[in-house]
Amino acid sequence: MGSHHIQTTLGERIARGLLRRSPLGFLVRRVAGMRASVHSKLLGAFLLIALLLIAMGAMSLQTIMSVSRQSRLLDQARERVDASRKIEHAVGVQLNVTRNAVVLRDVAPIEGVLRENTRFTDTLVGLQQAALAGESETISRLRAAEEKLRATVGHIAHLIREGNADEALEVHLTEGAPLFREIATLVTRVVQSEEVGMAELRGNVEAANRRALRLMGGFAVASICLALLLGFVISWSFIIPVREAQAFLGEVAKGNFDATIRVPNRDEFGALAARMNQMSRELHALYDEQRTLNVRLEQASQAKSDFLASMSHELRTPLNAILGFNEMILGEIYGEIPEDLKQPLTDIQNSGRHLLRLINNVLDLSKIEAGHMELALADYAVQDVVASVTTALRPLATQKGLELVAVLPDDIPLAYGDGGRITQCLMNLVGNAVKFTREGRVEIAADLRGDVLHYRVTDTGMGIAEDQLEAVFGEFRQENATIAGQFGGTGLGLSITKKFVEMHGGTIAVESTVGKGSTFFFTLPLRVETVETG
Amino acid sequence: MSTKTILYVEDNELNRKIVRDLLRRTSYRLIEAVDGEAGIATALAERPDLILMDIQLPKISGIEALRVLRSEPTAAATPIIAITSFALSGDQQKAKDAGASAYLAKPYSPFDLLGMIRKLAPED
Repeated sequence: MGSHHIQTTLGERIARGLLRRSPLGFLVRRVAGMRASVHSKLLGAFLLIALLLIAMGAMSLQTIMSVSRQSRLLDQARERVDASRKIEHAVGVQLNVTRNAVVLRDVAPIEGVLRENTRFTDTLVGLQQAALAGESETISRLRAAEEKLRATVGHIAHLIREGNADEALEVHLTEGAPLFREIATLVTRVVQSEEVGMAELRGNVEAANRRALRLMGGFAVASICLALLLGFVISWSFIIPVREAQAFLGEVAKGNFDATIRVPNRDEFGALAARMNQMSRELHALYDEQRTLNVRLEQASQAKSDFLASMSHELRTPLNAILGFNEMILGEIYGEIPEDLKQPLTDIQNSGRHLLRLINNVLDLSKIEAGHMELALADYAVQDVVASVTTALRPLATQKGLELVAVLPDDIPLAYGDGGRITQCLMNLVGNAVKFTREGRVEIAADLRGDVLHYRVTDTGMGIAEDQLEAVFGEFRQENATIAGQFGGTGLGLSITKKFVEMHGGTIAVESTVGKGSTFFFTLPLRVETVETG
Repeated sequence: MSTKTILYVEDNELNRKIVRDLLRRTSYRLIEAVDGEAGIATALAERPDLILMDIQLPKISGIEALRVLRSEPTAAATPIIAITSFALSGDQQKAKDAGASAYLAKPYSPFDLLGMIRKLAPED
């Protein structure tokens, strides 16, 4: 598992422990590795649990039905016992009534009893039909004995009616009483047999109940365990690839394209992981391509800078000669020059100087870009920097009728930096201000706040459009070609100025209102500590 | 009226010609050398009143030549104008440290150079 940013909870740690140290981990990998969709896996798990529940339902239904059948049998047995006892009781009553009839010589009670006793025949038939296998014979004998008793009682009644009481008593004692004892014995046997059967049934019901309880308990536990197991296995088979993906994407986001995501899943997550790997490879290829391109671009840029540097140097040598000779011609070293040649020669001189500035700027910029520019750090006076700029530009300002003012306290202490480059920066800004201002004034202000020097160059010139403000520090960016044509200039001055200010650890900014004028601000540390190269 | 001698150490012929033309109508006598080695030798042999030393020179650099001359008793006090290659690079500081009396950045105005020469070695 790669690193991930999810806070690990206790539950999470337990789950991870289970995955590592139990067969659950194996199971999770197996489920993940199943070639089936996420949908099918979830459906399968739910179906499995549902089947278990259905089986549990069926089993309990069966148990309930069996218990109910046993109860019915028990009821029937109880009814049979009752019936048998009733018969026994009735027979006992019959015997007493018969004995009394014999003693009293009155048959009326016997006839009532006999009428009543015919009902038992139906009961006995019913009993015999429902009886347990072994009882049928007993009941047959019971029926026979009962019928015989009824016949005997009938016979006794007949003897009494005829007044033959002695014979009636004789019959009662020799036939009636033994038959009654036989009936009693048979009933007892039936009752005993039924009771044995009932005990067995009761035992069966109890056993069935116990079995049902065990079965239900077992099913419940199994269902819960299965649900938990499937829940755990399925959810982790999904969580693992998600976590892997998260860790993998984290690596890719950090730019590590060598990372690959490996998941055991052969479902949608597996497909997703494969896509992610493909994406990473594509990104890697793109990244490599871009890096190669960047290296080539850097080489090209270096070649350009080197070329510009050597070109500028080579160009300056002949230009130096042109300017030198031209100035000497103008200075009449070679003799007096005709009046009408003076202006063209002055034009040559000015154009040559402009070209020289251009070349110098290109050389500076290419040095900065190539990282070859180094600041010549030394103590310098801010007052000297400002003075040299005003001195150099005052003739031009005066010629244009502009007021050129420098405002700075005279107690600024000696500063440390590349005074020459700082002069160049201020010269660029003030030069632009003078160049782009037709009337009004140009003000240079400098002051020290804490350890930071603040310079400000304000003019009452044409101003810069708001959407161009950002771009003025770019290379070859005069606001538009018309302005360049109108005022001349290299288009590199501000770019170089910005770079020198930044090399000193300062910042530069501009504010402007079209038609009202512009203000350029730049800050420099009073004493430069570390030198940052372009 | 003794003529002042100026030694110009410079490898570029056109640059030497500018100074040659510049000084033609003055009383200065110009002698030339085309590299640092020749510059040192000429300076020690001719003992000029002023040396114009270009910084970028073949064989021995102008800075090195400056140091050598400053260590020689015969040349230690001779005014030397170092001509640095680019106005605002660190060359000025290096030239100063090596013992230059003054420096002038190339491209220079010939008249500025003349002014500087006249200041350091006035014409008699």
